Amino acid sequence: MKSFDLVEPATLDEAIALLDSQDRSVRAIAGGTALMLMMKTRLFQPTRLVSLRQLDGDLRGIRVNEGGGLRIGAMTSLAELEYSPLLAGTYPVMSQALRTLSNIRIRNVATLGGHLAHGDPHMDLPPILLTLGGRISAVSRRGRRWIPISDFFVGYYQTSLAKDELITAVDVPGQSPGVYCWYEKFTARSADDWPTVGVAVWYSVDSNVITEARIAVSAATERPMRIAVAEALLINAPATRQVFSKAADAAADEVQPIADLHGSASYKREMVRVHVRRALEHALNSRSNGAG
Amino acid sequence: MAAHYTESAAKVVEPPSKIKRKAPGSGQVKRSVRRLESKAKVDGSAEYIYNLSLPGMLYGKIARSSIPHGKILSIDATAALAIEGVHAVITGEDIRRLIPDPYYGPAFHDQPILALDKVRYAGEPVAVVLAADPHVAEEAADLIAVEYDPLEPVFDEVAASKAGAPIIHDRLRPAATFPDLKYLQGRSGTNVALSGRVRRGDLEKGFRESDHIFEHTFRNGKVIHAPLEPFVTLAEMNGPDGLTIHTASQSPSFVRSEVSRLLGWPENRVRVRTAFLGGGFGGKLYIKLEALVAACALLVRKPVRIALTMEEQFYTITKHGATVRLKTGAKKDGRIVAREVETWWNGGAYADIGPRVAQKSGLTSAGPYDIENIAIDSHAIYTNEPPAGALRGFGVSQVVWAYESQADIIARALKIDPLEFRRRNILREGRPHATGMLMTDVDIDAILDRLAERMEWDRPLDHGSGTIRRGRGIAIGIKACVAPTTSVAMVNIYGDGSCGICCSTVDMGQGSDTAMAQIAGELLGVSAEAIRVIHPDTDVTPYDMATLGSRSTYHMGNAVRHAAEDARAQLLRIAATALQTDIDELECRDGAVLTRSGARMSRQITPFWMLGGAGAEIEVDTETGRIRVTKLVNVGDAGSAINPDIVERQLIGAGTMQFGFTIFEEMIINEGQVVNASFADYKIPGMLDLPDDLTGELVEVPHRHGPFGAKGIGETGMFCVSPAIGNALYDAIEVRVMEMPLTPERVLRALRQAQDRPLTSD
Amino acid sequence: MKETYRRTIRFKLNGRPAIAEIATHETLVEVLQRDFSLFGARESCGQGLCGCCTALVNGIAVSGCLYLAAFVDGAEVMTVEGLASGNELHPIQQSFVANCAFQCGFCTPGFILMTKELLDRHPHPTTDEIRHYLSGNLCRCAAYPDIVHAVEAVSGARKV
Repeated sequence: MKSFDLVEPATLDEAIALLDSQDRSVRAIAGGTALMLMMKTRLFQPTRLVSLRQLDGDLRGIRVNEGGGLRIGAMTSLAELEYSPLLAGTYPVMSQALRTLSNIRIRNVATLGGHLAHGDPHMDLPPILLTLGGRISAVSRRGRRWIPISDFFVGYYQTSLAKDELITAVDVPGQSPGVYCWYEKFTARSADDWPTVGVAVWYSVDSNVITEARIAVSAATERPMRIAVAEALLINAPATRQVFSKAADAAADEVQPIADLHGSASYKREMVRVHVRRALEHALNSRSNGAG
Repeated sequence: MAAHYTESAAKVVEPPSKIKRKAPGSGQVKRSVRRLESKAKVDGSAEYIYNLSLPGMLYGKIARSSIPHGKILSIDATAALAIEGVHAVITGEDIRRLIPDPYYGPAFHDQPILALDKVRYAGEPVAVVLAADPHVAEEAADLIAVEYDPLEPVFDEVAASKAGAPIIHDRLRPAATFPDLKYLQGRSGTNVALSGRVRRGDLEKGFRESDHIFEHTFRNGKVIHAPLEPFVTLAEMNGPDGLTIHTASQSPSFVRSEVSRLLGWPENRVRVRTAFLGGGFGGKLYIKLEALVAACALLVRKPVRIALTMEEQFYTITKHGATVRLKTGAKKDGRIVAREVETWWNGGAYADIGPRVAQKSGLTSAGPYDIENIAIDSHAIYTNEPPAGALRGFGVSQVVWAYESQADIIARALKIDPLEFRRRNILREGRPHATGMLMTDVDIDAILDRLAERMEWDRPLDHGSGTIRRGRGIAIGIKACVAPTTSVAMVNIYGDGSCGICCSTVDMGQGSDTAMAQIAGELLGVSAEAIRVIHPDTDVTPYDMATLGSRSTYHMGNAVRHAAEDARAQLLRIAATALQTDIDELECRDGAVLTRSGARMSRQITPFWMLGGAGAEIEVDTETGRIRVTKLVNVGDAGSAINPDIVERQLIGAGTMQFGFTIFEEMIINEGQVVNASFADYKIPGMLDLPDDLTGELVEVPHRHGPFGAKGIGETGMFCVSPAIGNALYDAIEVRVMEMPLTPERVLRALRQAQDRPLTSD
Repeated sequence: MKETYRRTIRFKLNGRPAIAEIATHETLVEVLQRDFSLFGARESCGQGLCGCCTALVNGIAVSGCLYLAAFVDGAEVMTVEGLASGNELHPIQQSFVANCAFQCGFCTPGFILMTKELLDRHPHPTTDEIRHYLSGNLCRCAAYPDIVHAVEAVSGARKV
């Protein structure tokens, strides 16, 4: 690695003043686990890193929002999330996914903001957040804006965050009782591998009929994304294996998988089919509902 | 069988006196002594070459070829040299000024220290940047601009062996150290570095007499050693005309002789030392970085250190990918009467020890079976991929994958239980092996018995239903240990009666320090824990061929045994004459005895046979193709184990490594470019991947010449894991996958093919 | 080198005050080795995946190869060298020795420090928790079963 200016502002205003909308070699660093990998392989050579580590305060921690949802500070480490009873009680599907997200040392250091801003399609929390709904608070010299999570991931390692914007928090809405959630992660090689496919599902059932449904796929595709055609097949249908299979088939037909080390495109398509169905089934069986 | 000879020299320094010595046979061997270095390995103080820095040293960073095959038109280091802090940039031409013929290698002198004239694989070292700051060297190495004229590359080993393939080396350059390769000198227009042959009986007659003939081709992907300690070498001038090399190497003696040869120096001017190795597995054998670092240090006359990153390991040495064609003729009753084996070894761009791998594993590639008619051809092939060399088993696991998969196919076709099929065919004590050498001190029945017992082979297996199917499989394998070779050991008894062993065996985790101390301790009546093993330093420790091929317990163990026996005999002689006391009651003080002993092996292909077996039970997810190994039993014949605990752990460790190679480890090489050269992209087994039930099982068939009956076992656990799992896969879903590794995608594709609803090929 | 590229960090290292002159791009494991001759944390995969470079920062396990040295300014750092008290090995270290939980030993300090963090958080983990917790550390010699036994033994873990 090459040397760079490392600045550690004490306030958010100072931090955003140090970012630069034009200069790609200036970036914020939080836990830095992903950024360091890019720097070590010289994919990214910063001239200035703006460390967010001194900005604890509001940026760190989990609070209950109005409506029973949570506001999670962007600098909250993934381990803090993993061990949070509040998170476990509100979104057990997230707590569960965090257990197998990379490894403990990475989770000890990596932050939620960094996890999202990296835009890596293999990450575990983005598909879950796509199904839970929510919004991301982005702050720059121009002020704060809320980006709906559904608008955040725009392409392969691309997000809608501007170069000079910082994520400060993520709002996740409260979940109504009776919602079924699950995250299914399939690794084709070792247990700690990046997933071949990740599938998050969220649906509510009333009198054995599905009233609302969200399905998000990651890793197989260039970005984490909702699969609307599959969701549509679930709504107003009974929560049965046949229905789940039809939705899974539709999802498999809809996705445009990217071949990589974790599988060819056709294998990934097949794995989308298998794991969408399994996620829907597991959600029902586990009764792991979003409202705890 | 083995012709040992012992030479001794003794010097008594001081008169004997008061330390009480126990008689030999003091319970040091066949005891699970804890590793001597235990404390150092848990408190961070264990010495690895990785830890070493030298005053005033420069860090080297290698710039590597970006293309798999091409002529070098120019190397422009201007931008690199412009970086503040860069001390020098070294290219192949600079090295040629120091070493006129800078080509090295254990079998062939074919590998340039830095690329000369052309590059032969993507990742080949082309230049080195030296700087006092490693980050500066790294930054500058990126800026070295090389212009190439690309040549057509060839990657597949079978294609490369055919006429008309692009030629990678103009002519073959076998090393003089192997007289049997001399006939290859100067051969040109071929990528076949060597073809090994074995003929026995009359193959055609055997096939004519067969009731059934089976012919299959099996493939092994390329995998990598990935020791966690990086490859690391430091070199420094030692006075005006000497050189000291500190290196994480399994073969310090070979490094000394090869670097001396390159420099045209006598060996006594080159000193090579090692410490503990953070894993080797065959990767750190022969020469890797040593010639390069030595040349850099001599050119700039400063100490130089080069340590590879994990990524660079993938450009340095791999296990051989291999294609194995197997044609077997059998009688109705399952007796194998004829077998033809042809193997093509993907050796990559430089031979390293590949020709020996091809030759040696070829010898046993018909399996541990008693077959009258055999033809074996084993071809070491150059391709434009990273070089392949020895990896824990020396080619044996690749051929076992083939012959034990086929054994299962034949047994099933003839409706014979796979275990019974093997019983009808195995080589037994006193029978001739394909090479004509007689089988001695072997008992494959005992291995099969143990497998049957541990796998509960007589009990039917629930094959499951729905999307999870279960199956089980077994396999057995054979390897010849390396021969002839030399190991020399010295046992010192110091003035206070404490004891030190000087030997050049490298402890890379296999526990050799402990085993050697046990052997010496047994004879000297000293507890193993009290003995110090001095680590390889070619100025101090005597010659050893190398730490490889499960040879150290046997060869070095014997040398240590002879040395200790000699030392003891001398002590007793002194006591008898000076004190006229009973041997068992000998007391002495300030006594020092120096003795030396060597063991050389006969010309037979192996000093002892290595035999193993494995059994696996698995579950297969028929929707994803994912295999979960629920049980893995690895049986190995250790002779009489010197240290049973360590031996068992060798079986488990090797079995786990091969388990990784079997179910997911694979280097993905696309048009010569390694695309997964990191632990993010090349996965090795972790805690959660292990088989639920994983055991190593010792079968102890004592060896008549082994030290206290011991045989080597470091590799045995590798042989049979892959076909055991592959055979279990067939048992579960009746699908045969011919190519390793058995990744979920490969399994699912084979299954869907069999179901006539194939996955598309994109 | 530009002045802003360099800085002085002050921190506690294995219980003792420490000071180092570093460059901004240098990692914790580099500085531990170069400035303090501590080699228990060692870089292997370079990607935070193998655990060989593990150090505890304020009691939390981090990958020293992905952690900027600048970030330990003001922190408490512990390496495997700080675990024993005098000549007495820490019980975790003793258990690794007693259970032969290593071969080449290169990964061992990382496993030991991860175990330290595990037992600080969960003094009596189940076997599954042990395996889960240590799943981010790699051992190419595959001493895994013995490592699990060592942690079970020192924590009195029950089998599940």
